[in-house]
Amino acid sequence: MAVVALLGVSLPTAHARINVTTLPGRDTVQLTVYNSADLTMVKETRTLVLRKGLNRLEFSWANTLIDPTSVEFRALTHADEVDVLDVSFPPRVAETLEWRVHSEFAGEAQVEIRYFTSGISWAADYVAESARAEKAMALSGWVRVNNHSGEDYEDAQVRLVVGVVRLVEEIAKLANEERLKRAPAGAAAPVPMAAPAASRVRRALDEALAEAETRPHEIVKEEMSEYFLYTVEGRDTIPNGWSKRMPSFQATEVPVTSYYKFEKERWGDAVLRHYRFTNSVPSRLGQEPLPDGAVKAFRVASEDGLYQYVGATQVKYIPIKETVELELGNDPEVMIKPVLMDWQKMDIKFDQNGNVSGWTIKETWQFEVQNSKEIEVVLDIRRNFKGDWSLATEAAHEKVDANKVKFIVPLKPREKQTFAYELTTRNGVNVTR
Amino acid sequence: MALPERARVVVALTHPDATLVEEERVVTLQKGVNHVDFSWRGVNIDPSTIQLQLLTHPDQIGFKSITTSYPPNENALVWEFSSPQAFEERVRISYILSGLTREVVYKAVADPDEKAMALRDYLRLRNNSGEDLAEAEINIGYGSGFKKSIAHEETLEMLSERVEGLPIKKTLNWDAATQPWQPEYEKNTIGLPLYYVLKNDKASKLGTHTLLRGKARIFIKTKEVADSGEAKAGDGVTFIGEDWATLTPIDREMKLFIGQSRDVKVTQLKVKSDRDNIRRNTGNAIVMWDLEEIYKVEIENFKKQAVNLTLVEHMPGYWKMIENSHSKEFKKKDAFTFEYNLLLPPETNGTNKTVVTFNLNRLNVQDNDPSSF
Repeated sequence: MAVVALLGVSLPTAHARINVTTLPGRDTVQLTVYNSADLTMVKETRTLVLRKGLNRLEFSWANTLIDPTSVEFRALTHADEVDVLDVSFPPRVAETLEWRVHSEFAGEAQVEIRYFTSGISWAADYVAESARAEKAMALSGWVRVNNHSGEDYEDAQVRLVVGVVRLVEEIAKLANEERLKRAPAGAAAPVPMAAPAASRVRRALDEALAEAETRPHEIVKEEMSEYFLYTVEGRDTIPNGWSKRMPSFQATEVPVTSYYKFEKERWGDAVLRHYRFTNSVPSRLGQEPLPDGAVKAFRVASEDGLYQYVGATQVKYIPIKETVELELGNDPEVMIKPVLMDWQKMDIKFDQNGNVSGWTIKETWQFEVQNSKEIEVVLDIRRNFKGDWSLATEAAHEKVDANKVKFIVPLKPREKQTFAYELTTRNGVNVTR
Repeated sequence: MALPERARVVVALTHPDATLVEEERVVTLQKGVNHVDFSWRGVNIDPSTIQLQLLTHPDQIGFKSITTSYPPNENALVWEFSSPQAFEERVRISYILSGLTREVVYKAVADPDEKAMALRDYLRLRNNSGEDLAEAEINIGYGSGFKKSIAHEETLEMLSERVEGLPIKKTLNWDAATQPWQPEYEKNTIGLPLYYVLKNDKASKLGTHTLLRGKARIFIKTKEVADSGEAKAGDGVTFIGEDWATLTPIDREMKLFIGQSRDVKVTQLKVKSDRDNIRRNTGNAIVMWDLEEIYKVEIENFKKQAVNLTLVEHMPGYWKMIENSHSKEFKKKDAFTFEYNLLLPPETNGTNKTVVTFNLNRLNVQDNDPSSF
């Protein structure tokens, strides 16, 4: 619990008369949660009654994961008249600091307190619902905020940062170090994540919910520098220990191509299903980059919308306009079977000493492919070759790089096909390139 | 609000590794904010897969209004959304449940002549999920599905397909890489692996879906002796073996290795192995050669019936077949493997045995050739 106390001091008498006033809680609180690091910026506003002259403000944060080196204070009203003289972390007092603030005026002032905490995280996740034929899908994006910071942030505005931020020291480490260093001798280190009784929190949540606005908490998105900022509309209460999942976007009729990929060097004999789509406006997306996160894919398999589970995967950060593929696991209903049908060692060359100096290997490969599904599929078969190779085939193919060739084979429902290629590899003095 | 009883449960067992449960319930919504509790105990639900869909008024309660809260250290969640008015809403909750698994079991009874069998496919459901499922619609990806109740810790087996008169081919297998070439040197009589081969196609009254992996137990019809001493053909059954059936797409063969036959004897000899076309270097060392090989395979069938036998030969490297006594039965399987699919007539043994010979040239052989390719 972070508490701010105002210690009224009348100076310059040496015998200070101290009035300790516990203030009503925060007026507002805003959480800016990063997903690339265990970092949350907390901004809270409070209303203080300041005296003219020196004011001592105490801020304490027992049992939380606040980085004490990050705590900042500024006046929002009467900013010209309020100056922070210094900040002290008093000896033998754990998790407390004290600002000495000089004020030119007496009365109510709104102040902002800003600090970093660890223990709050967020992650994106997605649900892909492909239509029966796997040509289009509905994609919904969600964000889930987890609060293990030790602090209940009530009625908070939640902002989520998509982007990679650099930290030279971990916030959690700073929070813990400070606590250990400053804990009074003999005192047990506080447990940072002691979960409050669930029922109490549940009640708090219920109360918060009861007061909640009836309109949806939409997420407003804005771009800044290398970051993307999601601001959840309205206010949310995420008590310590809880997490909350909120809808971020939903797109329907996103064109998708389902590829069934085969590459022995990567996946052995398995055929892996991939959904390929583009994060672009013509694909009914493209409003924002998509943060990395878990994807669960389903296929709508019946008239009344019942699902088939397709698979789960992790998706990388997807910039706008980028085309990505979701790897969704093996599909035994698509078979790809390569067979080496013929192998020849020929064009033997001898050097002046009569030793073998060159030879050529000719391989004939035959591929049996079969689609046992009731929908069309597209196969993406990749073969890797080595050395001075050349390929002869009637099958449509495309060179991916110097040593990789791709065969794209569309198959109708329940269709079988075979295709073949002849691979010639020249060795020793037979090499031509 | 806690959830009311389920109105419908659908279990999809279509994914090989994950069981998807979809359940429908009718909840009474109030105007304004509603929160619906979903909790589970002693059940292995993957919480990250839980989804809520509104079926009755999806347009009035938008996707964007549903948030989910997860309390600490509890198998529970709370959905919050606001409803523009009070109504009854049918909701569908889906999740991945572990502990509910399926296996496929095949049981077959072969006719005494081993040319056909009756095949029954069973679906065996094991429920260790912690959940009692009542009147669940069970979907396995093919066929019409089932509606069954299955309690926690219950195993339920149900017939999913039955085919009578499914043609089978009984065949023995002799593989030059695994079988001894000269069985008379062996202490025990060599048994040849016995297979029943069936085809997942229309002609075999199958061919509607991929046959899944599962244990196949094969029985054969036997005559039972009645008390009067008379034999009644086809009355009883005897177990003759089992195998793991592999995943078999449509139009492909399923081979079940169910036992051994010791009534067929195969002796293979390499009767010629001569180097030819020897190439030497200036130091007169041999650097490359060809190899002419002749193989002779003598096959004896001691059975009173004709029997199919597949001879499997492995020939690595670059080779060419020169001469072949059974070219009609010869089939090249891949660059380094070929087969003879022979039908051995009844009682062809002793002087009457079947002899397969083949003569091949192995070309451009070197000392450093790999032993396998």
